[in-house]
Amino acid sequence: MTDEPTRDQREHKAVLEKALHFPDGLPGLPDLENFVIVELREDGAFQQLQSLDNIDVSIVVCVPWLFFPDYAPALSDIEQAELGLEKPDEAILFVPVSIDPDSHQIFLNLLGPFVVNSRTHKGRQLVLTGTSYTTRTPIELPGT
Amino acid sequence: MLVLTRRPGESIIVGENIVVTVIEIKGGQVRIGIDAPREVDVYREEIYEQVKQENLSAIANAEQIRRAVQDPSTP
Repeated sequence: MTDEPTRDQREHKAVLEKALHFPDGLPGLPDLENFVIVELREDGAFQQLQSLDNIDVSIVVCVPWLFFPDYAPALSDIEQAELGLEKPDEAILFVPVSIDPDSHQIFLNLLGPFVVNSRTHKGRQLVLTGTSYTTRTPIELPGT
Repeated sequence: MLVLTRRPGESIIVGENIVVTVIEIKGGQVRIGIDAPREVDVYREEIYEQVKQENLSAIANAEQIRRAVQDPSTP
């Protein structure tokens, strides 16, 4: 007799299939390895990178090209190999969003993009070198 | 902290397979070469710290950022 998976087990599996695995964690947060992406807006402009290891931890992210069409972070050969990227279009890229709590100015962190292999769901946060990108590039928010 | 004196061209070895070599000293700057296995990440400290601090700030302010991006008209 084969055991049918319970509803909880099926849902757990569905979450894990969509989950992203960052084997090295994040800079400053080495223990956070597993995340899911949650959409925050109907137009798909912003998402939330939600930790599965600590439910209280999430980082708002966005696809940078909406704001900076020429943004071109370079992955080293080593980083491409680590992520198992065989073709450039396998890579999904998004950047952290931050805020000045007083002025409410929103910034994109173009120096530390997240890159995920869409085939394997393995990801990492890059720390770009040799660029003029900054961690606090101001943007104007598009209306919803 | 371990402090060692090295001349240009001389190296130090960290563990089994990391070699740090002083390449050149010029005008108050030191050029350093690092040979390390590919799985070892090497960063300029201040750049890595910036990304780290930005992550911690993004997490600490996540709720405020979420509200701002979901409804830009009400800060």
